[in-house]
This record gives sequence, C-alpha cells and structure tokens, in this order.
Amino acid sequence: MGGTSSKLPKDLLSEYQELTFLTKQEILMAHKIFSELQDRENGLYSSRVSMEKILTLPELKSNPFRKRICHVFSTSDMKDGSLSFEDFLDLLSAFSDSATLEIKSHYAFRIFDFDDDGTLDARDLEKLVNSLTGETDDTRLTGEEMRQLISNILEESDIDKDGTVNLSEFQHVISRSPDFVSSFKIVL
Amino acid sequence: MAKPATITRPLISSKRHKSIRKNSRRIYSPYQDDNGPSDDEDKDGERVDSNDPEESFQNIQLQKEIIANIQTKPWPIRRKLKVLKQAREIVLKYEGRLTRTRGYQAAGAELLKKISRVFYNIVVLFIPWEMRIKKIESHFGSGVASYFIFLRWLFGINIVLTIMTGAFIVLPELLAGAPFGTTRSKTIPKEHLASAQDLDTIWSLGGYLQYSVLFYGYYGNVRKIGSAGYRLPLAYFLVGMAIFAYSFITLLRKMAKNSRMSLAGTSDENYTFCWRVFCAWDYLIGNPEAAESKGAAIVNSIRVSIFYIQQTQINNLAVLISLRILANILVLLSLTGSIYIIYFVVDRSQKLEQEKPELTLWEKNEVSVVVSLITMIAPSAFELVAQLEMYHPRTSLRFQLARVLVLYLGNLYSLIIALLDKVNSMSASNDEMARNLSDSTSYLATISQPTEDNLSTIVPDVTERRNSTLTSTTSSAQPMRMQSLLNQTVLYEYNTRSQQDPCWETYVGQEMLKLSIIDMIFTVASILLIDFIRGLVVRYLSDCCCWDLESKFPEYGEFKIAENVLHLIYNQGMIWMGAFFSPCLPAFNVLKLVGLMYLRSWAVLTCNVPHHQVFRASRSNNFYLAMLLFMLFLCMLPTIFAIVRYRPSQYCGPFSGQEKIYDIISETIANDFPLWFSKVMSYVTSPVVVLPALLLLFMLIYYLQAIARSLKVTNSQLRLQHSGYLGSTSGSCSSKSYHNMAYNPCARYAENIHSDPPFRKTLQPIRNEPGVITAQSYAGRRAHTTRYIIVNEHEARKKLMRSNTRIPRHYRLADEPTEIVELYPRNVKCYIPRTPHRSHQPHLSEEEEEEEEDPKSSTKRGSSKQSNRPRSLSDIHQTARFYIGDTINSQLSMEQGLYGDQEDDWGNDPQTNIRGPESAHRYGDPYIKHKTKHKVEPSLTESDSASLASSSDQQNSSTDQYIQVIHNKEKYLKSSAKLTKKKSKNSVKFNVSGTNDLVCSNV
Repeated sequence: MGGTSSKLPKDLLSEYQELTFLTKQEILMAHKIFSELQDRENGLYSSRVSMEKILTLPELKSNPFRKRICHVFSTSDMKDGSLSFEDFLDLLSAFSDSATLEIKSHYAFRIFDFDDDGTLDARDLEKLVNSLTGETDDTRLTGEEMRQLISNILEESDIDKDGTVNLSEFQHVISRSPDFVSSFKIVL
Repeated sequence: MAKPATITRPLISSKRHKSIRKNSRRIYSPYQDDNGPSDDEDKDGERVDSNDPEESFQNIQLQKEIIANIQTKPWPIRRKLKVLKQAREIVLKYEGRLTRTRGYQAAGAELLKKISRVFYNIVVLFIPWEMRIKKIESHFGSGVASYFIFLRWLFGINIVLTIMTGAFIVLPELLAGAPFGTTRSKTIPKEHLASAQDLDTIWSLGGYLQYSVLFYGYYGNVRKIGSAGYRLPLAYFLVGMAIFAYSFITLLRKMAKNSRMSLAGTSDENYTFCWRVFCAWDYLIGNPEAAESKGAAIVNSIRVSIFYIQQTQINNLAVLISLRILANILVLLSLTGSIYIIYFVVDRSQKLEQEKPELTLWEKNEVSVVVSLITMIAPSAFELVAQLEMYHPRTSLRFQLARVLVLYLGNLYSLIIALLDKVNSMSASNDEMARNLSDSTSYLATISQPTEDNLSTIVPDVTERRNSTLTSTTSSAQPMRMQSLLNQTVLYEYNTRSQQDPCWETYVGQEMLKLSIIDMIFTVASILLIDFIRGLVVRYLSDCCCWDLESKFPEYGEFKIAENVLHLIYNQGMIWMGAFFSPCLPAFNVLKLVGLMYLRSWAVLTCNVPHHQVFRASRSNNFYLAMLLFMLFLCMLPTIFAIVRYRPSQYCGPFSGQEKIYDIISETIANDFPLWFSKVMSYVTSPVVVLPALLLLFMLIYYLQAIARSLKVTNSQLRLQHSGYLGSTSGSCSSKSYHNMAYNPCARYAENIHSDPPFRKTLQPIRNEPGVITAQSYAGRRAHTTRYIIVNEHEARKKLMRSNTRIPRHYRLADEPTEIVELYPRNVKCYIPRTPHRSHQPHLSEEEEEEEEDPKSSTKRGSSKQSNRPRSLSDIHQTARFYIGDTINSQLSMEQGLYGDQEDDWGNDPQTNIRGPESAHRYGDPYIKHKTKHKVEPSLTESDSASLASSSDQQNSSTDQYIQVIHNKEKYLKSSAKLTKKKSKNSVKFNVSGTNDLVCSNV
C-alpha cells in the first residue's frame, strides 16, 4: 500500500473507489499529485508525506485550518500530521462533492476540535475564531467580543447546556445551514 | 421463538458487533487509532460462523450492509479496507455469486454515474456566465452571487418570453403582415411625417418607432395573414396570456423545487452565530487574496453581529419607540409623496400636451424620469430613516425590503392608473358628452366615430376624459372629480377633435418601454457615478486627503444585494405589465439584463465592497421568488383589467373593431371550429358547469389546506421529537467529556444492560466475585462507573451513526414532550430492581435467566441475552412489571426521595471522602477510560441489526432523556459530576435500605 509505486494496482484502485466518494480520475489525479509531493522528498520514497509538503498544495495553502486538517486525517503514529496516500484520499473524499453531510460535518467537527477531546469547548471555539480572524491585532477579536461571541454560539447550539458543543449538537446546527455542504469542499 | 435460537443469535450478533466495532471503535474521541488490539478481535469475529442457516443469512445481510455503507463511514481507509475485505470474505463464503452480480450492478451504476457526470459537464458549459458568477462567488461569497444567479434566471425567463413573442407575433407580422405604409394604422400621419425622424421624437418612441412592430398599434387586424392563414390576432391574444401563464408556472415550479431543497422548517431555527463561525470558511478558496478578503469578511460579519447584540442590549425603550414611530411616519409620508408626485406628473403632462403643440424633450420624458428618480432616491432615504429605528440588522433589512417593495409597487400602480385614466379620457373623447355619467358601459359601447382624416397622433395629444369603472373603482372620490373633469373635457373637446385616433394600447406600451429605458439609463448612471467614480475617487484621492477616504466618509460603494434584487423584480414587473401592449418589451429586457449583468459584475469586482450586513439568501431561498411572484400577480392585474374592461382601439391593433379584446376567442371558436366544439364550449362556460367546477375547486383548496395543516402538525411534532432525541443523544454524549463521566448511575445501568453481549468478558470478574458487589466495595463500584461511562459514550456514538435513520424509533419519546413525569417510572426501575437481584440472585445461571426472559419479550431478544448479569435487562423488565401497579406519584416521590436523599448526603456522607481520590484519578487520567472503552466497545456497533437496536433504543432514549432533564436542573457540571457519584452511592444505599425510606425522604 501507500502511494510509492508510480502506478496504482487496479484492484486497489477499484477498492479505493468503493471506499471513498472519489471517482477513478480523481483518485488517479490525487495519486499523481501525491507522488509528485513524494518525489520532492530527498532520495528514498517514504510512504508518508510530511505536513509541510502537503501544505504547499495551493488548495490548502490559504486555508486557516490547514494544519488541523492534516492532523485530523493523518494516521501517523508520530502525530506529526504527515499523510499517507490513503490518508490523502480520505481527506479528498471527505471534501469531495459527493460526500454526505454527515461525513462532512463529522470531519468539520474534528477539525474544529483543536484539543481532540471530542467536544468543542470554549477554548476550542476561541481557537477556531482566532484562526478564522487571523492572529494580527487589528483583526483579532477583543476579549469582550470573544466572550460575547462564544456565549452566543453556545446559547444557540448547546442544547444540553453543558458548556460545550458535542458532535450531535454540531451536526444539528450544521445540517440547518444552507451552504455548509457547498462550501466544505476541496477540489484538486 | 425457539430457545436455542434466542441464545445463539445474540451470541453471534455480539461477536459480529465485535468484529465491526473494533473497526469503528476509534472513530471518536480518542481520534487516533490503535491497531494492536483490534486485530485480535478481528480474528475473533471471523471465527463466528456457525452452521445455523438463518444466522448465516443474517450475517450475510449484515455484511452486505457494511459493504454498502462503508463509503459513508468516517474511518481511515485502512480500517475500511480491512472491514471491507472481511465482509466480502464472509459474503463470498456464503453467497459467492451474489458478489459477482453485485459487481456488475456496481459497474453499471458507475457507468451511469460517469455518463451523467459527463453530461452535466457539458451542460455546465452552456450555462451563461457560469465562470463570471463563480468568480464573483469566490470573491464576494454566495450572497452577492445569488443576485447574479437570480439575474441569470430572470434572463432565462425573458429569453423564453422573447422567443414566444418573437416567434408567434413579431415574425409573422413582419413576414406576412401588411407592410409598412399600406394601411392606416401602419402609416405615419402626414403632419407628423416631418418630425418622425427627429431624435427627440424617436427618443420618446414616437415617429417611426411608434409605427413599428414594437407596439400593439402596428399589428393588423386581418384575421388570417399569409398563405398559411396565420391567425395573428388570435396568436397575439394567446401569447399575451401565455406570457403570464408561463411566468407563473416557472416561478411556482422553481419555488416548489427550492422549498424541497431547503430543509423543512428551517426558517424558525436560527443559528446565526454558529453558522458565522462554523460555516464561515469556504474551503474552496485557494487564492491568497481571496482568502484574505474572505477572512476580512468573516471578521467583519462576526464583529457586526456582536456589535448589534451588544447594542440591542442597551436601549432606552421610550426613545426607541418614539423614534420608530417617527421613522414610520416619515416613510409613509415619502410613500404618499412619491405616489402623489407620479400622479401629478402624469396629470401635468396631459395638460402640457393640450396646451402646447410642441413638447420639449424634458416634457416628453418627464413621467418616466420622475418615476426612475423616485425609485432611485427613495430606497436610500428609507435606509437613512431606518437608522433611526435601531432594529436588529435582520429586522431592519426586512423593513427596508418591505418598504422598497411597497414603493415600487406604488410607483407602478400610480403610473398605470394614471395611464389608464388617460386611456379613459381618450376613449371618451369620441363620446357624446351628454351621456349619462354613471352608465359607463354604454359609453364603451358607443364610442363615436372619429373622422377619417385625423388618424394621426401621438397619443399624448389626447385630452378628453371618459368616465370608466377603472377610475371609479380606484378612487372613491371619483364622482366628484369626474364632474370637474367633464367640464374640462368639454372645453378641450373641440380643440382636440381633429386629432382623434386614440390608440391607447400603443400609448401604454410606449410609456412602459420609455420607463424601462429611462430606468436602464438611471441604473447605468448610478453604477458609473455612485459606484465607479466614487471608487476611483476613494482609491486615488485618499492619499491627498486629510482623512481616510476608504474607511470614513465616501468609502467604496456597497453592493446592496436586497435592494438590487428588488430593483430587478421591479424591472421585471414593468415588463409583465407592458408586454401585452408592446410585444418587444421582453426582447428589450433581455438586452437590458445582459447589459446589466456585465456592468454589474464589472462594477462589483472593481469598485464595490460586499454589503456588510450579510443577507442570507442562498440559492435555496425562496424569498426573492416569493417577491417576484407577488410582483407578477400585481402586475398582471392591471393588464388583465385593461383587457377585460376596455374596448380596444377602433383603428389600430389586432383587435380593432371588436367589442372586447377577448372576443377573439369566442369568435374563433364560433367561426373556425366545428359546430360541436362551440356547443361544448357553450355548455362548459355555462353556469351549470362553471359553478360546480368552482365549488370543486374550493373543496380541493380546502382539502389541500387541511392536509397542509396536518402536515405542519406532524412536522412540528417531528421536530419536537428530533430535538428531544437530540437532547437525549447530547445528554449521553455529554458524558463523554471527562468531567461529566459518572453522571447518572441509573441511566448508566440501564445502558449497560443494553449493550452487554460484548461486555461479558469484562464483566466476568465482577460477576465471579459477588462478594465484592454486594459488599459494595469501592473497587467494585468504581469499576461499574467507569464501565458506565464507556458504555455511554459508546451508546452515543451508536446513535450518531444511525442518527439519520433512527428518528422514528423514538416515537414513544416524542409523543410525550413533557416526559419528565412519565419517564420516572421507567427510571425507577433501574433503582428498584437492583436490590433483590443483587442480593438474591447473584449466581443465577445463564439458562435460568434466559428462561425468565424468553416469554417476556421476543422482540427484545438482542438485549435480553445479557441477563446473566445481575443488572440485566430481564431484571429490569421484571421489576418494571412489578411496579407498574404503583401510581406515578408514588414512584415519583420515590424518585424525588432519592434525590433528596442525595442532597442530604452531600455534606455528611462519610463515603464522599473516600471517593475523593478515586474521582481525582478519573479526572486526571482520561486514557484509562479510553482503554476500557475500547475493550467494551465491541459490544456496541452501529451495524447491529435493526431489531436489536430498536429494542434497546427506546429504553436508552428514555433514560437519556432523563439524564437530560436532570442535567438541565443542575447546571453546574462539576457539582453534578460529584452529585452523580453520590447518586450512585445513594442508589445503592437505597436499595439496601428499602423503599419505605425513600418515599418518606424529603425533597
């Protein structure tokens, strides 16, 4: 496995098609892009591509959540955010056109869950807002604004009033949004 | 159910679950996956197969389900692969052939998908301006893009309208109709010939333009034209109606489609802030500049929303109300003012025409210029006024839209009424003035003959007025006015007699087209001046100015989506109003929309900033369409009214010589259809048929309305249920967070019960040491609590996975939105049963318990398996029966007693201290929990067959609900966590001490 070979075995390809929301062309395209990233790694092929390499992709370059995305989809034991080809396919599949709302919202939740504890608490939300607004002083929200915003978010979405947004609450909110599915997309 | 079956199936299912579960287990909170233990369990799972055919069949079904759904599981591919392979193996083993056929099917489906995709790609190529809109979308987001999408949609409609009028009216007339100059209605009268080519004549649509296919008057009234005998007048009438019919149908279809697309009932749910944060980022954005602007837009929208929240929190009510009243008065004043001005201008233009033979350019275009000016200026004025009101931006936007819509409608209506008023006077000009005023229909019938030689005329020259029902219906003061008008008209009659050949249809068409043109000019001018020049000034002069032009006074022009959309709607309304009288109006509108598309998109990209109060108008929003529909209806009314009420002009147009325009239909039916058809038609239109049909229609409407109402009720119930369900899931989910873990022991127990089969192993040690349990040693209890937590998480996950399909199962829950009371009995079961079982039956053999179980619930087979444990489901069921006899109240009181008990214990329970370290340990070490969870999880499984899930779900959900209720009562997380610990302790205690105490204990 892994995308080290220049050509994907046929059966693997069909399996990937079955397991992801990607078409054959998309998988081949992804494979091409992935092996290009690999090639740039000095000398020997490794089955994983480091997060830095992945983040050079234009599709991810300007995304404020790029690092989180890598971490969420990475299956690396080192927790360094490096992606294997399959992880990469996972990523593309979740962000593909045909992925379901459920999948998309699940991964969105995990991307937003900065501390990986399974809920979005105030700290997660703060980080989330900060990555959206950027860290510079003029764009960043003031403490007061942040507090207000977070309390409003929780008021809207925190159905069980435990001070955090959990996955089902998150999915409930997201499923009501008219444009989430159309904007949670990455196309190579 | 045979006994062996009940035993084996659960076993198998549990193992099955295990095999699946091991794969899904790591999905959640400890997102990382650990491969080690799962592999072992894999092997376990594969060994499952037994010889029972039913079981193997079920297994196959299960595996197939897995294969079918694997795409939608949020797992890493490696895990999916493993699961898939395994599932395939199993299926292959039992049903090798099936896989192959399925493969063919999949290939076929894939091919179909591919073809449709290719087709779609081709279709996309032909969608006009797709790239342009995409570009705007990527810069300004979906809000601004929705304007352009709406524009494009209108463009499509107008194309169809153009094709309809062009193909069926204009082309036949041009090809086969009498050529220009051959008939009276197609000839420019001599006295106007000299000025017919003057620019200002052309500009005001007179001269050659007036006698062209642009307007109604040009079309001949020959019944059949050309060698093919094309019935132009009939076609004219039918197309005129078809324009409305087509617009209505497309609009309604679009609306229906949109409402299907949008989730039912989203309107009353509002997650502004959540969406603004969670759904803010557009992951498609790949260009740093766009990302930057998107980021800025997000910051802005967040800031603004916070700002408004803060602002609305501090408000002086009295001042606010008086301000709002003032604002509304101002708006009303400006509305009436604008209507009065339009009326005044139309009136003045008439007088001018009477007095002066030659009109200046300004005088000719006065009306449309004034109307356009009002439509341009008034919205900005309204916006200024709206600032007084200090509404929430969303509300103020709605107010603004409503006001602007009323303004536009008022403009169009006052214009058309003034015009029709003029039409009245035109037709009346030929009447004998001695006629009885009140008998308007007789006027219509007896329009006097104009003399042959004064066919001419630009319509504005007509000055006389005639009484008509239009004016009398539109204004209650009409009779009075009529008198004075009549006096006037008597004066003018002789002056103007010589110019009579009123073609009022042409006149109306001219005015509408003129209005449309002037409107276009004003739009272009406003884009250039207000947006472009301003943008230039701001950009290039900001350096040499003492304040920051970009952020302070002039700023860049904002793109106000809602106002612009309303303007489009207004524009379309003009088209609908005038299309009957000027068949080329849709064609003109097509050109106008194309121009607007390019100009607007250019302006938006170069010199506009997005409106900072974002109007959430995604494609699925029916708001625009509803307004358009409203507009269509209101614009259709005057046209239909004119068609029905007025007599067509005598010497021009396709209907000249007829009494009413629609007579063409009856005439055609009488002359050109076989006799039987006209007979049938006469029957159909007789009251005998029409009245019942009408009645039937009413009945239908009533019936549909009743259905809609019941659906609404169902909908609200479902929503209630859903939120209840969600609450329950989230209740259980919340226990996921570590600090909440040991939340409600009762619920935990209950859930334990359902998820047991996989538990067996882990439970075994506890079971083997009944002493530990009965003695309630801390170790034992602690094990319980941990396990509960795990189960709970597990449960929650399960729910999440099935969340889409599972709602119906919660009916019971949903039926009782106020479940608190009703739920108590069920929960009580959890407490009560435990004591006897623990103390008396700790060593029950599996068989014994199974026997107990069997008769009771065949449907709950799955969950009943677990009964070998003391707190098994079977126990619960039994106790439930036992207690059903009790009144709710007593149970409730017991329950309350329980809590009261806990509360009392809070301070003085000696055990709390002992528990301290334990809890600390738990908080400190989440990983322990994870591990345990993993072991336990195999039991669960998303894939468990539906029967199992459904049987256990209801109970789970009920307990979940319970948790939630409790939870809401006690908002403090930490304390509640502690509390629950105590609760568990208390419940144990309670069991020991017996029920009497509980009932008596304070609340």
